[in-house]
Amino acid sequence: MDLIANLSLGFATALSLQNLLYAFIGCLLGTLIGVLPGIGPVATIAMLLPVTYGLNPTTALIMLAGIFYGAQYGGSTTAILVNLPGESSSVVTAIDGYQMARRGKAGTALFTAGFGSFFAGCIATLVLAAFAPQLAELAFNFGPADYFSLMVLGLVGAIILSSGSILKAICMILLGLLLGLAGTDVNSGLMRFTFGIPALFDGIDFVCVAMGLFGFAEVITNLSHKDKRETFTNKVSGLWPSMADFKRMLPAIFRGTTLGSILGILPGGGAVLSSFAAYTFEKKISAHADEFGKGAIEGVAGPESANNAAAQTSFIPLLTMGIPSNAVMALMVGAMTIHNIQPGPQVMQNNPELFWGLIASMWVGNLMLVILNLPMLGVWVKLLTIPYRFLYPAILVFCCIGVYSLNSNVANIYITAILSVFGYVLSKLGCEAAPMLLGFVLGPMMEEYFRRALILSQGSYATFFTNPISLSLLVATAILIAVMAFPSIKQKRQEAFQEE
Amino acid sequence: MRRCSQTLSILLLLFTSLYFSVALGATYPDRPIRLVVPFPPGGGVDIYARLVQPELAKQLGQPIVIENKAGAGGMIGTDQVAKAAPDGYTLAAGNIATFAMNAGVYKNMPYDPVKDLTPIIQTVMVPYVLVVNPSVPARSVKELIAYAKANPGKLMYGSSGNGSGQHMAAELFKSKTGTDMLHVPYKGVGAMVIDLMAGHVQLAIADLASLMPHVKSGKLRALAVCGAARSAEYPDLPTVIEAANLPGYETIGWQGIAAPAGLPKEVIKRLNEAFNKAQSELSVKEKLISTSLTPVGGAAEEFARYIQKETAKWAKVAKDINLTVE
Repeated sequence: MDLIANLSLGFATALSLQNLLYAFIGCLLGTLIGVLPGIGPVATIAMLLPVTYGLNPTTALIMLAGIFYGAQYGGSTTAILVNLPGESSSVVTAIDGYQMARRGKAGTALFTAGFGSFFAGCIATLVLAAFAPQLAELAFNFGPADYFSLMVLGLVGAIILSSGSILKAICMILLGLLLGLAGTDVNSGLMRFTFGIPALFDGIDFVCVAMGLFGFAEVITNLSHKDKRETFTNKVSGLWPSMADFKRMLPAIFRGTTLGSILGILPGGGAVLSSFAAYTFEKKISAHADEFGKGAIEGVAGPESANNAAAQTSFIPLLTMGIPSNAVMALMVGAMTIHNIQPGPQVMQNNPELFWGLIASMWVGNLMLVILNLPMLGVWVKLLTIPYRFLYPAILVFCCIGVYSLNSNVANIYITAILSVFGYVLSKLGCEAAPMLLGFVLGPMMEEYFRRALILSQGSYATFFTNPISLSLLVATAILIAVMAFPSIKQKRQEAFQEE
Repeated sequence: MRRCSQTLSILLLLFTSLYFSVALGATYPDRPIRLVVPFPPGGGVDIYARLVQPELAKQLGQPIVIENKAGAGGMIGTDQVAKAAPDGYTLAAGNIATFAMNAGVYKNMPYDPVKDLTPIIQTVMVPYVLVVNPSVPARSVKELIAYAKANPGKLMYGSSGNGSGQHMAAELFKSKTGTDMLHVPYKGVGAMVIDLMAGHVQLAIADLASLMPHVKSGKLRALAVCGAARSAEYPDLPTVIEAANLPGYETIGWQGIAAPAGLPKEVIKRLNEAFNKAQSELSVKEKLISTSLTPVGGAAEEFARYIQKETAKWAKVAKDINLTVE
């Protein structure tokens, strides 16, 4: 068995004392920066790059990878505790995770997120080890037309994200699409909605939107009800999930892992979609659909497993083809080249100890994260007992630092400030921010793929229907729309709406 | 009495100015230096800056702080340096785009690369290579030109964006050979390479580091390098000039360091020496070469002349092919 031989080589590498130590440092650092809102792994990895020169390349990459998935892990902690998603993947976690925290089940939500991530990480690592080369080929079969159809499916699915009125959800998605249009057009280089402000030339950064609409708006909303200002302190029930919680959590984790593993392989935005897709899926098939948006445990378990699985499998395009699927991966390419390793198909043959060592270290790292975080659950939950007059200013300060550090530009803080007022108005109007964020993330990608598909087909729209992958995705979209329009489900949605 | 004080003040003025000019030369640098990288971390310019940073700090005896101020094709960060005080404590790392090409492409450029910046040193060259997807039945540049002429408008080439070096290089190739090919812009080179390997686009001109791993694995076919001379790393590849008899077809990416305009001569000299020494340090040099960045170095005046030449050259290309970006 090649796989076993390879994995044993990998574990032999990953379990050396030095590699274990650096994997631990990476995970710890990653968790810390993940917990601090807005400070992302990109800036951290960039700063640490020179530190890794002296290490051997495998050790260096193990540490950097640890920062990456550690940050994913830590990011969901703030999303759950204070409604601050630092990355697109934790936006979805914030929806139900934060509601669980408000109902005194912060510990359960954190446990679910951690356990789901660990499980997904283990499975996705196995997938990565067993099928990496074959899966890489799959990415080639996915052309611009197919990506476009995948995004359409994602956007229609976004309607299900909201628990309120369909009309408002559609409006919010459209608003998100419009916001995503600001910046330089890829095809013509024309500026759109930039008003001559250079800070807008590359569009609005996702982190600004997420911080403004979620975190800041939440702070303002909480400050506005003077009399019934929320405190979690008195209603923190058990940290550990009950048997019933487990029963609901486990199948969702399985489904999330499967979805995430598949979507993570697509370098053109698959990983972004994974947590949204998992949430939509869970909500559609759940027997407790009415609980979604109010603290459903599946709404945390599914997306968290999906995004961690996708985080692992997104290494496939990097390791097998040398193609980075996001900014962190781009830095890893940099780290590899600095260490004289040409990222690309040759890595697996020329540097097997690096390839398999990194894969094995992901498994080790996931285990470390669980060990690191489970005893911390109590500590994190304690954070919520901090009086708001200390907690809120601290959140705002960290957010501002994070937003500034995106590209050392003060303009980002102003943009976030404007968006937070907007977010407050939205919450007063009962409009949800999650569908808008998905529209914001998917809109620009969708346009890019749409126009590229048309350039490649010389302007023929048939390309979306003649392509089998694209066609089946569009058919799936049509089915989804039909299901939504179906009366019984519509009724269910309305019931849910009236309860609010 | 009055006269006396006047002479005294003049003398004082003389002394202080003398003192300061000496002081600036002698004590510079006496605090940390900011090196602005106008791109996100992980790109070529960022890699150069981070590779040279430790050795440069040793040479100058002060910490070098790298700041990534990305945005608008590198123009936001470079503009901030152009408008900073010319004291030698704010430097810009940049490339062919921020120091030369953009001036010819962008209608509203916030700074003038020739007037608003003091060139310090040309650091590295970034060789370009012409590759095709193996489905294209051309094994040489000549065959490619013949194929493109036989099938006008059928071949599509990818680039890392509108107005990018890759776009310009391909457009220059088109206008020199009189071929008709369609431009498909991407956001960055990574996404383009995937589509190139999958055969959605058929050819591209991009940097060696991004393309050669895939040429080695057989997913892409390299036809020629685009510099004036063959690459030391891949001596088997001909240049476009010799392969297709296209004199003057020379497109090669480069990087450099600049400061705000009006930097004192002594400071230019000090910085130029420090960069030259830092990047010729063996460990730094080896790492640069392994990332397909060919070290150049040299005097500040040479770089100034080179920038002027390149700015004029690409402004003409942009005008000839009628390419402007707002």
